Amino acid sequence: MNGLTPGMHLVLVLVTPLVGAVVAWVLGSRGYAAVRQSAAVTALLTLMAAGWLVVRYLASPEAAAGQPYAVLTLPWLVDGMFDVRLSLGLDGLSIWLFGLSALLSLTAVLVSWEAIKERPVGFYVLLLVLEAAMLGVFAARDVILFYVCFEFTLVPLFFLIGIWGHDERRKAAIKFFLYTLAGSVLAFLGLLTIVLWNASHTGTVTFDIDALTAGLAAHPLPMNAEGGWLQMIVFLALFAGFAIKVPIVPFHTWLPLAHVEAPTGGSVDLAGILLKLGIYGFLRFSLPMLPDATALAAPWIFGLGVAGIVYGALVALVQTDLKRLIAYSSVSHMGYCVMGLFALEPVAVEGATLQLVNHGLSSAGLFALVGMIYERYHTRNIASLGGIASKAPWLAALFMLFTFSSIGLPGLNGFVGEFMILAGSFQRAWGGVSAAWRTAYLVMACLGVAGVVLGAWYMLWAVERVLFGPSREPPKGAGSGHTHNSGHDHSHDHGAHGHAAHAAATDDLAWHELAALLPLVVFVFWIGLVPATFLGPTAGAVRGIMQPSAQAFAARMEEAAVPAAAADFVSLQYPTPTP
Amino acid sequence: MQSLSPATLLVLVPLLPLAGAVLTLLLGRLLGSRAHLPAIAGIAAAAAVAVTLLLGTSNQVGSAHGPHAEPVRPVEMITTLWQWASVQDAYVPPEGSAAALPGTAVSGAGGAARAFTIPVALRLDPLTATLLAIITCIGLVVAVYSVGYMHHDPGYPRFFAVFSLFVFSMSMLVAASNFLVVYVFWEAVGACSYLLIGFWFTKPEAARAAKKAFLVNRVGDFGLAIATFLLWMTYGTLDFHDTLSPDGTILPGILGQTRLADAGGIVGGAVGTAICLCLLLAACGKSAQMPLHVWLPDAMEGPTPASALIHAATMVTAGIYLVARSAPLFMACPDALAAVSIVGATTALVAGLIATVQNDLKRVLAYSTISQLGYMFASLGTGTLLGFTAAIFHLVTHAFFKALLFLGAGSVMHSMGGVIDMRRFGGLRRIMPITAATFLVGGLALAGVAPFSGFFSKDEILATLHAKGWPNAHGEHHDAAPASHASLPLPPGEGRGEGAPATRLASLTRSPAAAPPAVLDTPETFRVLFWMSLVTAGLTAFYTFRAVFMTFTGPIRVPEEAGHHAHESPPVMALPLIILAVPSAIAGWWLFSSQWLAHFLTATPSFSAPAVTATAVPHAFHMDLAIQGTLAAAIGIVIAAIGHLGRRSDGPQMERFLGPLQTFFANRCYIDQLYAGLIVRPLEGLALLAALFDRFVIDGLVNGVARLPAALGGVVRRLQTGLLQRYALAGVMGVLAIVFVLAWRLRG
Repeated sequence: MNGLTPGMHLVLVLVTPLVGAVVAWVLGSRGYAAVRQSAAVTALLTLMAAGWLVVRYLASPEAAAGQPYAVLTLPWLVDGMFDVRLSLGLDGLSIWLFGLSALLSLTAVLVSWEAIKERPVGFYVLLLVLEAAMLGVFAARDVILFYVCFEFTLVPLFFLIGIWGHDERRKAAIKFFLYTLAGSVLAFLGLLTIVLWNASHTGTVTFDIDALTAGLAAHPLPMNAEGGWLQMIVFLALFAGFAIKVPIVPFHTWLPLAHVEAPTGGSVDLAGILLKLGIYGFLRFSLPMLPDATALAAPWIFGLGVAGIVYGALVALVQTDLKRLIAYSSVSHMGYCVMGLFALEPVAVEGATLQLVNHGLSSAGLFALVGMIYERYHTRNIASLGGIASKAPWLAALFMLFTFSSIGLPGLNGFVGEFMILAGSFQRAWGGVSAAWRTAYLVMACLGVAGVVLGAWYMLWAVERVLFGPSREPPKGAGSGHTHNSGHDHSHDHGAHGHAAHAAATDDLAWHELAALLPLVVFVFWIGLVPATFLGPTAGAVRGIMQPSAQAFAARMEEAAVPAAAADFVSLQYPTPTP
Repeated sequence: MQSLSPATLLVLVPLLPLAGAVLTLLLGRLLGSRAHLPAIAGIAAAAAVAVTLLLGTSNQVGSAHGPHAEPVRPVEMITTLWQWASVQDAYVPPEGSAAALPGTAVSGAGGAARAFTIPVALRLDPLTATLLAIITCIGLVVAVYSVGYMHHDPGYPRFFAVFSLFVFSMSMLVAASNFLVVYVFWEAVGACSYLLIGFWFTKPEAARAAKKAFLVNRVGDFGLAIATFLLWMTYGTLDFHDTLSPDGTILPGILGQTRLADAGGIVGGAVGTAICLCLLLAACGKSAQMPLHVWLPDAMEGPTPASALIHAATMVTAGIYLVARSAPLFMACPDALAAVSIVGATTALVAGLIATVQNDLKRVLAYSTISQLGYMFASLGTGTLLGFTAAIFHLVTHAFFKALLFLGAGSVMHSMGGVIDMRRFGGLRRIMPITAATFLVGGLALAGVAPFSGFFSKDEILATLHAKGWPNAHGEHHDAAPASHASLPLPPGEGRGEGAPATRLASLTRSPAAAPPAVLDTPETFRVLFWMSLVTAGLTAFYTFRAVFMTFTGPIRVPEEAGHHAHESPPVMALPLIILAVPSAIAGWWLFSSQWLAHFLTATPSFSAPAVTATAVPHAFHMDLAIQGTLAAAIGIVIAAIGHLGRRSDGPQMERFLGPLQTFFANRCYIDQLYAGLIVRPLEGLALLAALFDRFVIDGLVNGVARLPAALGGVVRRLQTGLLQRYALAGVMGVLAIVFVLAWRLRG
């Protein structure tokens, strides 16, 4: 495939799921088996192509130089002052999320294997279209393509939830759609203002993100009363869209509902990728283009991140529905990303960027496992589950693993991001803020660390109740039983040769369930043990992106108060310095 | 093995058990009842390697006596496996901070940015070598015992996989040369402990105990995390060791020899104390010291071999290791040091009191472990060379005799059909003579009866506390003993390198006015602590022999769970008991008389800092203290004999004379209830409130806002087709229309 130019390779990755969607549609008359097989093959091919592209990126000179790779530009309206092009490409910021989208799409198909037998054509077509949209968001290098893909992720998911969801699916789908759409329309207006501001100063209407960043660096949006605080207004417009997407507390209430009602495949994509779009948007637009407004808002959003960590964890603690509990854990974990991002400290921002991938892996894994539990026992109620470890040891082992990953056990992926975010936040609190802010920052950083304890609390509580203890689930077959469990035929293939006491271990994972999870497991360990592999390629891009905001923040903090932040620091160490 | 370099050997120690764990995990089901083979092979090989390393390091240090008895030079070897993470230009040390240590590249560049670099580096020094040998050797003995104990358990392969994984994690913990890597394995051993406590996960108590252990440890880990962040902020590195940067300058590690040789290199004051207290919190979590000791007694729900290795001999000593390793940091903060002693001695006393009224044999041993670990902390907190080496000495002897006692308790439990309540059996010495005899040896060692090993290590701890409490009584060394060495009024710059920053830093850290007077670190404090420790010694002897008498003497009684086959344990379990009984009996005497361990440990870089070596005292046997300690033990044993020797263990107990105190101690001083009432319930209440707030206030607002347009929308009802796609399309098109209008206007 090396003969392929990188740009065409990227297009190939983007088009494969769409072609697969058409194939799945055509095969629709042959029954669900054919449809799901074609979807799996498509997702696998896309993953292979995307993975190969990632490898090519890592080996490319562009990656080493911090340049975008696989850039492909298609003129669309180039005429006079208009310089509108559709442009694609990957850089250090998007590369892992791009790969993660391809990876989780395969997971989403495989976890739907047995669960979706009604109207399979529509389901798999939408899933593949969603995959194309997710890949497109991360490959977009211009505002139009970004926004189209950003919005287009909503539509397939709306139908996935609304048609294949659970009891309250309609309400959940509508709430999800309208809430996020309301936010993203505001965000689009903000982006347009950026484009027009840039056009009015450079004389060229361009939607290219790099050009806009450069243009706004040269002519920043006004951040004062004469300019109408335009920069702040644009920042808030973007914030509306991205904060709802993340979601930042208190804009999160669509998330638990959407997750609980979504089919497992939809939850995997939603938690794994779509939540990342908000943080990705902040990184792409707010931080580099609106540094002064970012610097002004950073302490408050940092605080919202910390509030989200603690609040999400507390609410998770009293949930009775396993899926809802994990949804709230997502709120809490995305709080870490917000915290790290708005600490505006290199270690923290790189940690937050990595944490996007980490959370994608662990939450997707957990949602997939909850779906598998539901398929077996037809309930997600924590109180009516129990003792799954006796009946499905491999399922339980993987649930433990993803739990450990989620609560940041060192050696697994979650720890790396969490630790870097907190280390960077402490660094910010310690020496990077003015004296007036220091106490608040230190308290917030400590609360962030305390969130690690709370996070372990609710997850291990759930594990204790669901996996351990005596068997408690309702007898199998109590429900309609239509979807479950052809896994029986396969469960002996992978190690469930029972010991006498484990003779009941017939509920264990089927091959497609293992295949859905094992790739995630590989990355859980890889990122945990050698995070340098993943941090290295993002470092340069992230550093460039956060630079303007970090500088603006430092300037604010210096003018805000004492130039003696450093002197104060020293005197803290040595209470009475004597000459 | 001689052909392999020490670096390779060092890597092999954790690697072999890891390989064993992975093999057991993969092949466990195939191997069936032979699933212990990979694990035991791995641990045995690791033990051989660790002993080789110990001997090799010992040779390097040299002998305490003989012609080469010159001042000990620090011995360390570092091997870096891979770079865990690296972020360039992550940190700019503020002017004059300790991160900009004089004489290095950093100060030369005047606070140049520094990378956040975390190497996965292993170190070998006397402290690490000692602990590696203890972990692997006791691990091996316990693993062999487990072959018998876990026989017939459906989770047999799982047990050995996690067991092996634990040996790997623990070896990495003591060999890591970076605070972050220590943190990684600090939590990893906690995870192994979680999996083993919850090994019989169908028992709700086991599942709950596992969760409790993990959560309480997480509170401690909170301390370690904050300490790590503060260390990173203060020193700009997390390495223990010095590293050579590419340009040939030395980047001093936190506990590297460059910094240690420089008396001003370690930060004291508020920040230093904060770091040390956070480290102490972490150590309290892992080593089950008050107020975080509540998880260890519950951890006895796990299989007894796991209790023996993890919750008695090795993992719980990680806190001791951490404080000992960070000795130079603590030396700069006398109050933090005194806090270590206070926590330790208090825990020792309280746990000893609780142990006196427990009727569950494993719980008695658990509280005894907490109490003995308290001794070690009390010793560490004295901040003297003798204190540090005595703590490690006690760690070593305790590892032998407490593992022995736990395995003995397991042997009893195995034979009694899983019953461990001492009131339900008695007179077992006639049924299981080997267990009884070895348990007695362990008991004598624990009680501190001469010449068993616990006597000598406990004697050294009492001696070091005594020396701090009555500095004048110990001859000419008292002038060096006050731990506030950091405030020694040395003239600025003396005895150090050249250069202005050095002088400035030294004057900042060491000017006499800079050190506030110690609040906790006073002789009076240590006098109290000494008496507490002496009382604890008496309590230890009492509860140990109470357990011995209740279990092994009196009329023979066997619970019905044991059926008709109450018997001595099979050889595969009895042999480990005998093997452990030997060092429990004689290791203390040998290590004390030869002073091999004390001398060897002196070469650990952390113990070779000038601040520590200044407190060295000549090796001596304190007859007065030995008599006091023995007297305390004798009183305890005599009282235990009066109450329990030869009596039925289910009869009325002597402890009833304690009255309400017995209830108080039997309920573990109500500490669990206190935490439930003060922390857990309020947090759960807060969580419930948050959930209600989320549902009714936040979501209510969202829904309210969403209904607003609908209420106003009667006018445009005809447009409301209810098709979301159409709304979205309309929205997007509207926005696009605005754009193009604006764009055309700009053009024109």
